[in-house]
Amino acid sequence: MYTFRPILMKLVPKVKLSTLGWVGVGMVTFVVFLAIFAPLLTPYDPTRTVGPGFQPPCWEHPLGTNKIGQDMWSRIVYGARTIIIVVLLSTAISMLIGVPLGLISGYVGGLLDRILSMIMDAIYAFPSLILAIAMAAALGPGIINTAIAIAIVYVPTYFRMVRGQTLSIKEQLYVEAARAIGANHMTILVRYIFPNVISIITVVFTLSVADVVLTEAALSFFGLSVPAPTPDWGFDLKAGHPYLLSGYWWLITFPGLMIMILAVGFTFIGESVAEYFQAMEVRT
Amino acid sequence: MEEILKMRNLKAYYFTREGVIRAVDNVSLSISRGELLGLVGESGSGKSSLGLSIVRLIPPPGRIVDGEIIFRKMDLLKLPEKELRNIRGKHIGMIFQDPLTSLDPLRKIGDQLIETIIVHTRVNKEEAKEIALRALERVGIAPDRFDDYPHQLSGGMRQRVMIAMATMLNPDLLIADEPTTALDVIVQSRIMDLLSDLKRSMKMAILLITHDLALVIERSDRVAVMYAGELCEVGSSEKVSQEPLHPYTQLLLESIPNVEKPRTKLIYIPGSPPDMMNPPAGCRFWPRCPKVMNMCKSIPPRPLELDGRMVRCHLYNGGLESGG
Amino acid sequence: MTSLKVFVIARLLLVIPTILLLVSLVFFIMRVMPGDPVIAIVGMKAPPERVLELRKALGLVDESGNPIPLPIQYLNYLANLFRGDFGRSLIWGKRPVLVEIMEHLPATIELAIAGFLVSIILGVALGTLGGWKGGKTNSAVKIYSAITYALFIPWIGMMFQLLFAVWLKVLPVGGRIDPGLEPPMITGLYLLDSILTGRWDSFVSALRHIILPSLTLGLVISGIFSRVARTSVEEVMRQDFVIAARARGIPEHRLVIHVLRNAFIPIMTMMGLQLALLMTGAILTETTFSWPGMGTFLFERIEYRDYTTVQGTVVFFAIIISLINLVVDILYAYIDPRIRY
Repeated sequence: MYTFRPILMKLVPKVKLSTLGWVGVGMVTFVVFLAIFAPLLTPYDPTRTVGPGFQPPCWEHPLGTNKIGQDMWSRIVYGARTIIIVVLLSTAISMLIGVPLGLISGYVGGLLDRILSMIMDAIYAFPSLILAIAMAAALGPGIINTAIAIAIVYVPTYFRMVRGQTLSIKEQLYVEAARAIGANHMTILVRYIFPNVISIITVVFTLSVADVVLTEAALSFFGLSVPAPTPDWGFDLKAGHPYLLSGYWWLITFPGLMIMILAVGFTFIGESVAEYFQAMEVRT
Repeated sequence: MEEILKMRNLKAYYFTREGVIRAVDNVSLSISRGELLGLVGESGSGKSSLGLSIVRLIPPPGRIVDGEIIFRKMDLLKLPEKELRNIRGKHIGMIFQDPLTSLDPLRKIGDQLIETIIVHTRVNKEEAKEIALRALERVGIAPDRFDDYPHQLSGGMRQRVMIAMATMLNPDLLIADEPTTALDVIVQSRIMDLLSDLKRSMKMAILLITHDLALVIERSDRVAVMYAGELCEVGSSEKVSQEPLHPYTQLLLESIPNVEKPRTKLIYIPGSPPDMMNPPAGCRFWPRCPKVMNMCKSIPPRPLELDGRMVRCHLYNGGLESGG
Repeated sequence: MTSLKVFVIARLLLVIPTILLLVSLVFFIMRVMPGDPVIAIVGMKAPPERVLELRKALGLVDESGNPIPLPIQYLNYLANLFRGDFGRSLIWGKRPVLVEIMEHLPATIELAIAGFLVSIILGVALGTLGGWKGGKTNSAVKIYSAITYALFIPWIGMMFQLLFAVWLKVLPVGGRIDPGLEPPMITGLYLLDSILTGRWDSFVSALRHIILPSLTLGLVISGIFSRVARTSVEEVMRQDFVIAARARGIPEHRLVIHVLRNAFIPIMTMMGLQLALLMTGAILTETTFSWPGMGTFLFERIEYRDYTTVQGTVVFFAIIISLINLVVDILYAYIDPRIRY
């Protein structure tokens, strides 16, 4: 019995990272470490008043305290949880909508493809933060709602890349062969085409995830993300801003620094992954 | 005749991350006023690198490692960059394979001609335009094309523009790197006619770099055959075509399709050009050579002077008769 | 008719469906979303009269309180936009949204232009340097692009405030101009207006206020520009005409201009695309520096849940972005003669 097997790409593409890429991995790992082990790393409840307000960094509070005496170190560590959860959740939603739609649109073609592409292009053309703000304002605060608001912004990115890739794969010989031996559309999409778009999904993910981080930070800076008193970097940055003139530098320096570490880390990884795949394309 | 350019032991290597590519290795070659010298080789043989090395434009990670290039009694390798720039485009003209990509796509051809003239001479814009129009006329381009963009011209016309640009300041040497490869056969022969005319009327030396041995034998006074960064045979066109010495030249000649002697068997050269990063020991051609001997695999042949030509092959260690 | 004219007309016609699509998108996001916007505005315990009044204002029900079907709502919405009516504020005495936008727009335009200039100078200069030199310089520019791109605007703005306004005390911490120094309104751009009216004290004050915001915005946007400039200069440098020009003895200072002109098209296209990012960046910058523009305005109305104003502003942004893209495309065709054919 002969079957035509697609050239199955490994589920997680093997990627060689540059030095810069590894620096990025280190930065992201640091934040993820904080998020996972938050309870072990923090002496205080991040949502409770545990000391006098506006205390500069000292032994009891290494990153100081805020207006209502919450421990900034604990808020920073638990803030890592918030942003990581929102980023993962929204990315998952973007993929869950964008990838199947891209597959179907590219595979089926015709009118459906044209309508979907037009809608996606329109969303894509919209300034991402304004769209996210509009969505978040319409949906109201909360982790799930924030994740949905951000996810919608990045659906077109996944859709466009997956659709493009599907268009070229469906013309390949092994897909034709599968059709010839009577495989149904579902089988072709899931077993033959999907495995081949995984690497492009990886690239889109690594390139867009830094943007997702910055969008979450911006939404929470606008007070449109999770409701207080949940620790959230963007929100803490905003909350510390009025006291800048009083010179309470620790209130703004650390939350912003964390946002930057995470975003720059992801950008470094993204650059490195994109460069790797570019080099691969040139070689083959 | 007066030697206009003389290269001695020229070495140009590319220092890539994977290793050193010896694109031009110990090449000695000269060219005289009014002579058309054809430099023949497969792609990757280093012939284009040689052409670029002459004006020191070999792109990084390439570098000229050693040797000398004497042009009109100056060593081009020792010249400061600024003086060299005066030689490029004024005393040494250059044309390339693809005339479309060799012209700036965003500027009118007239402006590109004028710029070159103004950079090299002390004429004003009006005089420069006159020189440019005359040069275009000489290559058969109507003056109303002066304000055209490169994409508005045909391939043949573009190459004529390139030739006009390279020759309008009466250079002593023209380096033509595959000038006709991107063009169809009829245009090809017209361009070659033009080059021959220029050579005669302007007493210019032309270095014609190509993979097409038939073209070289038909058009040039002398032939230099390059293989894997080295010259393996240099001689007058008649001698090389009638009695090629190096086995590589022999194979190249046999592979030229011939209308008068139709063959049933298509001859091709077996094997592929060597990996330039790790060339074979001994003679670089031995893995593909039909006349390979034991010594070829270990001892690199030295260039031999025979009968007014150069050949680099162990077959002729004992003189002409010893060869086959 | 020249081919350029044909292109411009065709491109102008294309902008209509684009705007229609974007505007529809906003409608459906705001209306089809789960949850009742009215309840979100007034809260669960609001009196029914207040709720009904709001529903009328939002065009959800007609005068007698009967719900209007969604397709009719949509057509009404489009018709209003077509008449140039972006709705009326739910608060502040029901002022027309368009009037409020126009009051805040000049400040944003001024900041965007200043930020754009900073980012072009920083980004294109660094990017060109990297692409032209290659090697280590190129790698350094690459890291600069990656870091600046990932900067969080409010944070970097606050760091500037902390350094220059709080510690060094050389620049104001926020605002657009010292109170009382506002120049007479001509264009609405303070820097320009103060020059036109010759009020140098106003000019100096406006300049001092715009330095930190434009530096913040410009620095972040320069990340993208330097990256685009770098890759397109690299690309052009690989083309044959560069080596052909060198072989003609064209000096480097002339060649760099030709290379930049060729690299300019992708750079400009990307700049056009990044104007959306510039808008986004301006919103964040404005809220950080209390800059009285569209961003501060939008942020303030979100906090007050002024629903119609938010919708009108978002629609306005959508139209602006489409128009900017239109202008970029036409400029693009003007610069590159190949596009028109």
